[in-house]
Amino acid sequence: LSAFSPHSPVTSEQIEHLHRRFKQLSRDQLTIRKENFDSIPDLEFNPIRGKIVHAFFDKRNLRQESDGLADEINFEDFLTIMSYFRPIEMNMDEEQLDRFRKEKLKFLFHMYDSDHDGKITLQEYRNVVEELLSGNPHLEKESARSIADGAMMEAASICVGQMGPDQVYEGITFDDFLKMWQGIDIETKMHVRFLTMETIAHCY
Amino acid sequence: RATSESHLPGSSAAMGTGTPPSPSGTAFEETRLHVFTLDYPHVQIPFEITLWILLASLAKIGFHLYHKLPSIVPESCLLILVGLLLGGIIFGAEEKSPPVMNSDVFFLYLLPPIVLDAGYFMPTRLFFENFGTIFWYAVVGTLWNAIGIGISLYGICQISAFGLTDITLLQNLLFGSLISAVDPVAVLAVFENIHVNEQLYILVFGESLLNDAITVVLYNLFKSFCQMRTIKVIDIFAGIANFFIVGIGGVLIGILLGFVAAFTTRFTHKIRVIEPLFVFLYSYLSYITAEMFHLSGIMAITACAMTMNKYVEENVSQKSYTTIKYFMKMLSSVSETLIFIFMGVSTVGKNHEWNWAFVSFTLLFCLIWRALGVFVLTQIINVFRTIPLTFKDQFIIAYGGLRGAICFSLVFLLPPAVFPRKKLFITAVIVVIFFTVFIQGITIRPLVEFLDVKRSNKKQPAVSEEIYNRFFDHVKTGIEDVCGHWGHNFWRDKFKKFDNKYLRRLLIRENQPKSSIVSLYKKLEIKHAIEMAESGMISKVPSSGSLSDYEGKIKPLSPTEMENMREILTKNLYQIRHRTMSYNRHSLAADAGEKQAKEILIRRRHSLRESLRKTNSLSRERPVLA
Repeated sequence: LSAFSPHSPVTSEQIEHLHRRFKQLSRDQLTIRKENFDSIPDLEFNPIRGKIVHAFFDKRNLRQESDGLADEINFEDFLTIMSYFRPIEMNMDEEQLDRFRKEKLKFLFHMYDSDHDGKITLQEYRNVVEELLSGNPHLEKESARSIADGAMMEAASICVGQMGPDQVYEGITFDDFLKMWQGIDIETKMHVRFLTMETIAHCY
Repeated sequence: RATSESHLPGSSAAMGTGTPPSPSGTAFEETRLHVFTLDYPHVQIPFEITLWILLASLAKIGFHLYHKLPSIVPESCLLILVGLLLGGIIFGAEEKSPPVMNSDVFFLYLLPPIVLDAGYFMPTRLFFENFGTIFWYAVVGTLWNAIGIGISLYGICQISAFGLTDITLLQNLLFGSLISAVDPVAVLAVFENIHVNEQLYILVFGESLLNDAITVVLYNLFKSFCQMRTIKVIDIFAGIANFFIVGIGGVLIGILLGFVAAFTTRFTHKIRVIEPLFVFLYSYLSYITAEMFHLSGIMAITACAMTMNKYVEENVSQKSYTTIKYFMKMLSSVSETLIFIFMGVSTVGKNHEWNWAFVSFTLLFCLIWRALGVFVLTQIINVFRTIPLTFKDQFIIAYGGLRGAICFSLVFLLPPAVFPRKKLFITAVIVVIFFTVFIQGITIRPLVEFLDVKRSNKKQPAVSEEIYNRFFDHVKTGIEDVCGHWGHNFWRDKFKKFDNKYLRRLLIRENQPKSSIVSLYKKLEIKHAIEMAESGMISKVPSSGSLSDYEGKIKPLSPTEMENMREILTKNLYQIRHRTMSYNRHSLAADAGEKQAKEILIRRRHSLRESLRKTNSLSRERPVLA
């Protein structure tokens, strides 16, 4: 768990909880694959299920220098992903908080940026919005696309300001992404309380 | 005011010139026809009510004439001052105490509109996220305050030097229970202007709403105890059971009537004009039904408003929705103004008994116990909270615990037979209320700025932000599912599914599952369209058919028209092509501007898509060119 410790404490209790959950998911194997996530019943209803599962296997999130997708992950990797959702601690200083925040936002950024090129292009954004609204049968694909277009225009105006008629907005880079999330305190919202976990939620 | 008819026996001779003397010469004189009469008692009650309300509203206009004033001094203070002035005038003119605010009038007529307004526009998501904390502060906090103040005051009363030894422990506890209630009216009035972040606001305000249940219970409990000769243990258990019944019963009544109201509005599409009426009637009904059973009326009406809100909004027409919104705000504003003026008026008079020790120690204990209570309770609740409350938050919560008209009315309701020192209580309550409203009300704004408390950021809603938020919600729910954790998101999700499956189908007329992203997008698109129309860009575009009935140049749209257009289009975007306008007595004609705006919208979407298509294709082509 050395990869874990610089980002410090998830307590040993929480690790035990997560380990139990990991074993449940992996059916007592040492690693899990994408198929294992199919056994979580509630996840089926989640519109962006694909992206969430993908995030677990994304090598950029697993702090490996390489790129691409892993085929399977072990418990250490599982914990690494979970560490993105740690609650903030009261004794963190400014710098730590900032780093913390950047990490969490990077995780979200990777979920948007599916082709791993460091930019969220219009097509990727459209993809995200379509998935988000996929749960709504009454909505035409057209509307989803125009919403994504509108949002991209907004992003362009926030990040680049006034664009000339010939300028082209390539895509949202990570810095632009940071700018957009400026008003929202993601570090307090993005956490899961590991303390009160129940392994009651069964898998099939 | 004691005038009646201006007809006096002697004047008939002056008016009716040709009065024949009565044949028998008796003392009975026929009254002649009067050209002009004044009959005040006939209209006295409605006349006085109208005058009071008019006075209140004129006072409000007066304050806002000097635009800096409301930001320094909260309106509530100014209104109390006006009331004091009025009370002084009446007292001086008639040498007797002015009319005291009738507790029935307050609880049955003045309080419900304010609570309804607050409950209807309450941010439900934030409220339920913080529900545990709010509940904790409301119940345990009020109990703590009530018992603490009661017992310490009893201790003070024991000191014979103060001349208070005749006040029993139970009377002190009763006094403690009525003075520890944080008042929603006062909180609203003060917090409205200082714009602290939503979380803090919801904590203080939610507490003031929920503590009604415990206040009602404690008040009635101690009042009965004061009148009973012996108190058994069973009575205390009855009191605890009563609390649950009062709280839960009130909420159930509210929810039930909320659903009935939503169901009713499902069928009102033929008679749009009376739709707002249903909203008001059902919520008021929930309040007085709860009061009838001595349950918590405030919780009932809050629950009713929160339940109704979601479903009614989708069933009623746009115009009805606007009417509901404005009428509610108007009613609550008037009520609030009247309450504060009456408080001022009722203060003047002979209802007082001053005792330095009692009054000053009451004030002191109120402040101390509130501060202690918030501090201790927060330490405990922080363990369970995901986002712990900082010292700044705690300070504002403690400082924002304002007392107001509820304790004022409760103290007037005390039976004087059982409470010989009632006047003393009244004086003490008034001092505490004035202190909290004036001193705390005025100083809270500079304090908030001094402490640099996080303020609410009212920025422009952005579609991308909505998308991010939704995306994030799903991510969080997904991760929670993976961990097997039943967090807040889990319950919220479950409720949403239940809602979509059963409730919405039952209560909403044309059930189209709504997406907040889509509705926000529509809203913003319309805004763009209207902006374009305003800047006159549309007039240069060649018209096509539907614009031909709009003669001449486009005149700039007034803000209200824009607002109307925006809202109408937001609601009816998908139904634009199906809707046919028809006029009859029970529906209202559509604006002429609607057709034009529709045209604008379609045009705008096309142009947007065009421009982005160009952008996209350009960026794809660039590597080739380079």
